[in-house]
Amino acid sequence: MRNTTPSTARARAWASFRSEWLSTNTLMGYAFVLPLVLWLAATILYPLLKSIQLSVLNIKFIGTPGEYVGLDNYQRALTSPYFRAALQNSAIWVVGNAVVQTVLAFAAALILKQQFVGNRIARIWIILSWVVPTVVVVIIWRWLLSASGGIVNYSLQSLGIIDQPVGFFSTGNTAFISVILINSWRWFPFNAVILLAALQRIPAELYEAASVDGANVLQKFRFITLPSLQPVLFVMGLIGTLLSFNVFDVIWLLTGGGPSRATTTLPVLIYDTAFKKYRLSQAAAMSVLTGIILLIFAALFIRFMSPASDSDER
Amino acid sequence: MKRTLSTLIIVLVVAVMVLPQVPATAQEKVQITLWHMEQPPHRVQRVQELIDEFNAANPDIEVKQEPQNWGEIYTKAPAAVAAGNAPELLFAIPDFTPILKDLGKVQPVEDFVAELDAAHKFYPAAVAQYTYDGHTWAVPLYNMAHSLWYRKSVFEAAGVEVPTTWDEWLAVTEKLTTGEQYGIGLPANKNLYTDQTVYDLMINAGADEIYNPDGSLRFNNPATVEAYDMYSKLYKFSPPDSPNWAWGEAEACFANRTCASILQFTVITTYDTQAEGDPADLGVAPIPYKEGVENPGTIAYVNAVMILTDDPAKLEAAKKFIRFILEPENYGRFLNMEPGLFLPVTEDGAVAESFWNDPLVVKYKEQVEIMVQNSTGGRLFGFTGGNTFPSIAAISAQNILAQTLQMVVIDGMSPEDAVAEGQKLMEEALED
Amino acid sequence: MLYRVRRNLPLALSVLALMVVILAPFYWIFTSSVKEPQEIIARRPTLFPQSFTFEHYDKLLYHSPFPTYLRNSLIVAIGTMIITVVLATLAAYGLYRLRFPGRQMLFRIILITYAFPGVLLLVPMYDMMSRLGLVDRLTALVIVDVTLAAPFAVWMLQAFFRTIPQELEEAAALDGATRLGIIVRILLPLAAPGVAAIAIFAFITSWTEYLFSSILIVSEANRTVPVGLAGIIGQYQVDWGLLLAGATATALPVLVLFGLVGRNFVEGLTAGAVR
Repeated sequence: MRNTTPSTARARAWASFRSEWLSTNTLMGYAFVLPLVLWLAATILYPLLKSIQLSVLNIKFIGTPGEYVGLDNYQRALTSPYFRAALQNSAIWVVGNAVVQTVLAFAAALILKQQFVGNRIARIWIILSWVVPTVVVVIIWRWLLSASGGIVNYSLQSLGIIDQPVGFFSTGNTAFISVILINSWRWFPFNAVILLAALQRIPAELYEAASVDGANVLQKFRFITLPSLQPVLFVMGLIGTLLSFNVFDVIWLLTGGGPSRATTTLPVLIYDTAFKKYRLSQAAAMSVLTGIILLIFAALFIRFMSPASDSDER
Repeated sequence: MKRTLSTLIIVLVVAVMVLPQVPATAQEKVQITLWHMEQPPHRVQRVQELIDEFNAANPDIEVKQEPQNWGEIYTKAPAAVAAGNAPELLFAIPDFTPILKDLGKVQPVEDFVAELDAAHKFYPAAVAQYTYDGHTWAVPLYNMAHSLWYRKSVFEAAGVEVPTTWDEWLAVTEKLTTGEQYGIGLPANKNLYTDQTVYDLMINAGADEIYNPDGSLRFNNPATVEAYDMYSKLYKFSPPDSPNWAWGEAEACFANRTCASILQFTVITTYDTQAEGDPADLGVAPIPYKEGVENPGTIAYVNAVMILTDDPAKLEAAKKFIRFILEPENYGRFLNMEPGLFLPVTEDGAVAESFWNDPLVVKYKEQVEIMVQNSTGGRLFGFTGGNTFPSIAAISAQNILAQTLQMVVIDGMSPEDAVAEGQKLMEEALED
Repeated sequence: MLYRVRRNLPLALSVLALMVVILAPFYWIFTSSVKEPQEIIARRPTLFPQSFTFEHYDKLLYHSPFPTYLRNSLIVAIGTMIITVVLATLAAYGLYRLRFPGRQMLFRIILITYAFPGVLLLVPMYDMMSRLGLVDRLTALVIVDVTLAAPFAVWMLQAFFRTIPQELEEAAALDGATRLGIIVRILLPLAAPGVAAIAIFAFITSWTEYLFSSILIVSEANRTVPVGLAGIIGQYQVDWGLLLAGATATALPVLVLFGLVGRNFVEGLTAGAVR
């Protein structure tokens, strides 16, 4: 990491302040971050190492002994059509969620940014779908989308849009779309609130100045809003992708990965392999591969998408 | 802002203190923990009543129940055994037992079963599903079997008779499908329910044996193909969301009259509480069979309890509790934790007053009698023909019967190709 | 006047659409949970309840262990909340108020913990908790939930810590305040909205966690709401009334919580703008 370049007046003032603290500052910094890092290391590092150990054995059930088989499990995963199909499903899942959630979250944030009566209440309650457990989300939507007595089918029929009730989870494509929409329904309000917060932080003067210069709405969005949001979008893009890649419970509870494997993403496949097929070591190898794929993604994302404002603080 | 935050914390802390505290248990008694998968609150309550009576009569023993979820138990039980946190008693279905047995903690119980058999007389088929590798691995507790459920009035209105053969069944189902009503509710999910309904048809196509006597697979045969073919024909008259069904959705579909008929263990409780509850109108019949099949029947699960402790004091206490459950005056009450679902596996249980006295059983006596009768033709895949193949556990854990069905009704494969593919999946599941 | 209406109509409609998308499903669940069983599963759904009963709630609250689940969930969520706030605040202070080499790297390492699938950590986590004797203890859930909540919480705090002028801290330092004194007396009050926001975030993260709870908790007495509710769905029958009542009763505590402090969450996040 490079040190700060003292170019501005503020930085010069900072430099003089720093010289007093220099000896202790670094130590101090690490000391403050240390508790959290230790906590994360304890809860993630041990299980991670354990997984790597599992992945080179041939254990089937939890609790039974296994023999060392080298990289067999990795080879098996990489040549398995199921693994490839699941990887592809995961990619569609991540992109689908990203697109739907970004659009909805932006729309919601821009709406909520306006002044209107009840604006405060709307800002609070929009987040309702995020605060209830996944299980409840699943119950709600299974119930609403049922083909016998579900309100959605009934309404669509009453409006004459469909003749016969639709089985939303009955074909691969509709099931996939339904699950993406349901997961997005749960998460977009949270993203919207984060975006709203970031939008509020953009100084109004910037827009006013742009108006004076005759910029239109699109130009303002392109040259003011987007650049100002970049740090937020960076972290949301990174964490959002990682989190949504690892979503398991919504898919598992809604479709179980079906019908006919259509919604089997990598986490579902890993769970299925470990706890339905009882191939614990094979599942561990798949998880390690998944972890590696995500790390590569994260590295690339950080390398190419880091906001400019970040780099001058390094 | 700070004030609201402290209000919040006070509210939360008070809430925690007001909500029920878990009573501490005494330590000097012999502790027996029972895991079962009968999680609905009324079943838990009935089991608790029996446990309370037992604990009161046996002051030196303390039994406690911890209901689990079928969806999680396949993960949780092996993990608990491996970590030494296993319960002393664990309920099981035949294809769950081999998984646990391989972990080396399940106690052989053939002597204990012989003792109980002398007193209560088990149906031989019940014990057979848990006997292999030279031992009996669990004590049978109750039986469940599928039947065809319908409304007599609906059949009358459509002018159809209860079908007994497949030709009749298909014709009747087609005739019952009108407007908002579907002729039959058949699942196509990758789950145990679909395994069960598929196997219902396999039995009645003469394809009940998945294994040859030497243990090799014979799933891929013309009779199996016919069963899948028939299933896909009937499935056309099933509601569009059935690929996502488990038992509950099928029952709801029947209860709100969307489905004219379903294959299910029982619909009595749902029919009684959530539908019209008229015993005279509720019909139950054996599952129709393909013309010429010698030994028609239905899928039946004998549920049982495994003992997972070798500590002599705990072992004896666990046995004492099982003896208590199987006593006729308790056994009927135990079975009726879900009236009309759990059927007796002992001869003296089948005539026990405590079983037939339950108000709901009295009300639906006619239906329960037919269920008991249907259950005598009951079979379970992997446990047929006097042979038991514990490796079926791997096949049923992956729901391969259901996966094969999805290839036909969702992916549009021909039944021949799908069944061949299904056998391949089974072979994969059995390899090391 | 007409101009105003025409200007506001699209806005009003979009606000309405947004609220319907979010709230309508909840309306449906709440109203259905007081219907008679026959009406709940009726083939023609009813927009307004035609029957009214508390039987499902009676069953839920007095004949099921739901109150125990609720209590356990609250304990775990509060524990997670407190520990997350402490760890994340300390870390955020270190990362955003101090300048030291490796700072940026450290922040990224913390964020990247999300790269490891929960499913991957499941079995080894069980193994670890079992060695520590923490299986079937609520403590185990707190430990896991903090790991899930803290990294994002650190990031959420950055906006607050970055906007507080450095001069305040310098002045206090000149007055001889200790580092901890500066944090507690100067930074925390200024960042209070942000701290409230991460407290709520941690609470909700823990409140909704399903995967680990389903494996790490064994006994009825220690089960949390999501897992308990999944259990009520049942093996052979679905008691929709009970389930809908359960869904409502699960949403209610967070509704109350949000009614009390929801403003802090949203305004907490947006407060950086006001300065």
